Amino acid sequence: MGLISKFIDWIDERAHIREIYRTQMVEYKVPKNLTFPYVFGVLALVTFAIQIISGIVLLLYYKPSIADAFDSATYSIMGEIPFGWLFRHIHATGANFFMAIVYLHMFTGIYYNAYKKPRELVWIVGWLIYFVLILTALSGYLLPWGQLSYWGFIVTTEIPGSLAEAPIFKDFFKAVAETIVLWMKGGYVVTDVTLGRVFGSHVLIYPLILLALVGTHLYLVRAAGISNPDGIEYDKKKNPDKFVPFHPYITLKEGAYVMWYLAIFFFFVFFHISHFLPPDNFEPANPLKTPPHIAPEWYLLGYYEVFRSIPDKFWGFVAFNALLLLLLLLPFLDWSPLKSARRRPLFFILFLIFMFSSMALTILGTMPPTPQNAMLGLIFAALVFGFFLSLPIISIFEYGWYKMKTKGGQKE
Amino acid sequence: MSAWGMIKTIIFGGSTLAFFFILWFYNPFKHVEHYEVEKDVKAIIDNPWKKTESGKTIAEEGRELFVANCSSCHSLRYDGIYIMSVQTNPKWKNIEKTAGRPVYRYGKLYKDRFFVPKDVYEAFAHDDLQSLKASFGQVPPDLSTIYLARGEGYLYEFILNPQKVLPGTSMPQIFNPQFDPQAKEKVAKIVAYMKSVNTPPPQEQFKRTVMGVVVIGYFLLMGLLLWKYRQNLLKRLGYH
Repeated sequence: MGLISKFIDWIDERAHIREIYRTQMVEYKVPKNLTFPYVFGVLALVTFAIQIISGIVLLLYYKPSIADAFDSATYSIMGEIPFGWLFRHIHATGANFFMAIVYLHMFTGIYYNAYKKPRELVWIVGWLIYFVLILTALSGYLLPWGQLSYWGFIVTTEIPGSLAEAPIFKDFFKAVAETIVLWMKGGYVVTDVTLGRVFGSHVLIYPLILLALVGTHLYLVRAAGISNPDGIEYDKKKNPDKFVPFHPYITLKEGAYVMWYLAIFFFFVFFHISHFLPPDNFEPANPLKTPPHIAPEWYLLGYYEVFRSIPDKFWGFVAFNALLLLLLLLPFLDWSPLKSARRRPLFFILFLIFMFSSMALTILGTMPPTPQNAMLGLIFAALVFGFFLSLPIISIFEYGWYKMKTKGGQKE
Repeated sequence: MSAWGMIKTIIFGGSTLAFFFILWFYNPFKHVEHYEVEKDVKAIIDNPWKKTESGKTIAEEGRELFVANCSSCHSLRYDGIYIMSVQTNPKWKNIEKTAGRPVYRYGKLYKDRFFVPKDVYEAFAHDDLQSLKASFGQVPPDLSTIYLARGEGYLYEFILNPQKVLPGTSMPQIFNPQFDPQAKEKVAKIVAYMKSVNTPPPQEQFKRTVMGVVVIGYFLLMGLLLWKYRQNLLKRLGYH
C-alpha cells in the first residue's frame, strides 16, 4: 500500500490532478435547485461514449463494399463473431437513444430559456452538434446496406433536388440542386465509391467533428455557468446558499440517474431490439425494387411531415430548412428580458403548443399520406412556425411588463 | 413539490413517455399486415430444435425439404445452400474451399457447409442465375434473411399459396394441400428451418436472457446504492 500511495503522490506532484479535481469538481458550484431534466446533458454524453466504444468494435468486423456490407453486418457480426450481436444491438439502441436524449435536452433548454444571454454560444454550438448528429445518423443508416438503408439514402439525397422546382430562376436552382445531389450521392448512381465515402464520414470525420463540438459545448457551459430553472442569475459570491458543490451533490445524483438510464438502455438491447433493427432492413439492398413505404427514421419524421404536407415540393424544402434555421436563431428571436417558462406564462403556453405539435408531426409522419393527414400536417406545421414567429411578439409584451415592474421598485 | 409542479411533471413526463411508447412499442396509427397461423403449424415453427420421431430436429428436416424443393431456384447462402445447378457443378466444391469459409453460427461449426462471398457466388453462377431470370422475370432472391424481413406468418402463407398473398408473382405453388396431405406440415418445417438460421438456439437464447437480466439488475442496484450513499453523505455534510 505504501508503495502505491507513494507512486500516486509522485504522479500527482507532477500532474496536479488532485488540485484540478478539487477546483473543478468540489469548489465548482452549481445552482441548488437544478431539476430532473438537467440530467439529459450528461445522459447524452454517456450515450456518445457508448456509441464510440460499440462503434469501434463494429468497425473491426464491418466491410465497406457493396458486395460484403450486408453479409458482414448480418452474417458475420450477428452470428460468426462472438458477442458481435451485442455490439450491434448496443450501437442501434444507442443511435436511437442519442437522438431521443438530444431532443429531450433541446426541449429542456428551450423550456428553461437556457439559450439566452450569456449562453447564446452554448445554444449555437449545441445546434451544430444536433446538425452533425443528423448527418452521422443518416450516414450510419446506409452502412448495413439493407433495403431501408439504400432507399432511405436515395430519398434523402433526392430531397435537395426539390430546389429544381423553384418558381423563379429555374435554371440557377436546377444547377444548384443537381450539384448538391451529386455531392451527396457521389455520382449519378450509388456505388462502392458512395458507400466508402459515407463509411469514412461516419466512422472518422463526423465523430471527430462531434468530439470537438461536444468539448466546446462543455467548455462554454462551464464558462457561462449552468442556467437556473427559476430564470434568475444569482451571484455565486452574494448568494452562496443558492449553490451547492458539483461533487458530491450533483455527481452522485446524476450518477444514480445514469445507472437507471443504462438499465433502461440495456432492456432495449437485450429484450426489445425489433424497433431499432427494423425487419425490412434485413432484406439486402436492391436498386431495382423500391419498397412500398419509405420514410426516414422517427427523429426526422417531423421535418419529413412538414416537407410532404406542403403540396409544393420547393416550398416544402424551404419550410423544413427554415425550421432548422429558426431553431438556430432562437436566442435572437426571443429577446425578452425574462428567462425560464416558470416566470413566463405566455411562453409556457407557446412551449406546450410547440412540444405537442412536434410530437403530432412525428406521429403523423408514421401514418399513410392521406389528404386528411396532409391537412393535419399543415396545421401542426403552422403551429410550429407560429411558436417561433410569436417569440419576438411576446418579447415586446414581456419587455413592457418587465419595465413596469422594475419601475415600481420590485426589482429582482 | 407544489401542486402546480406535480401537474407540470405529469404533463411533460406523461406526454414524453406516451410519445416514445407509440414510437418504440406500439403505434396504433400505423397499419401493419398480420398473418395468423394455425396452432399446430405454430407449434412446429416455434420449435425448430425439437427432435422428431425420425431422430432429426425439425430444422434438419426442414433443411432437407428446402434442398429438395426450393434450391433449384433459391439459394440460402448463410447455411451453405446454393442453387442446384451450381451445387452439382464439380468446380463449385473447389470454389467453396478456396473463396469460402465453413459456416459458423452461434458458436457451432458446420464443416460440410460453406459460406461463399456474394460477389464470388454471383460471378460463378452468372449463367445459371441469368437463365432463372429469363424464366421468372427476376433472379429468385437469396433466402438467408427472409425470415427476419418477412416474419413466419407471411412466409408460411406465401409458400403455401403464393398467388393469394402476392398476386402475379412468378413463384409457383410447390405444396398444395389438395394433393399432398402433408403440405402444411412440410411448409411449416421449411419456415422453421429458415427461422433456425436466423435466431439463436434455445441454450444461446437462455445465455442472452441471463446476461440481460444480470446487466439490468446490476445497473438498477448500482443506481440505488449511489442514491443511498449520496443521502448519507449529504446528511453528514449538512446538506438536505
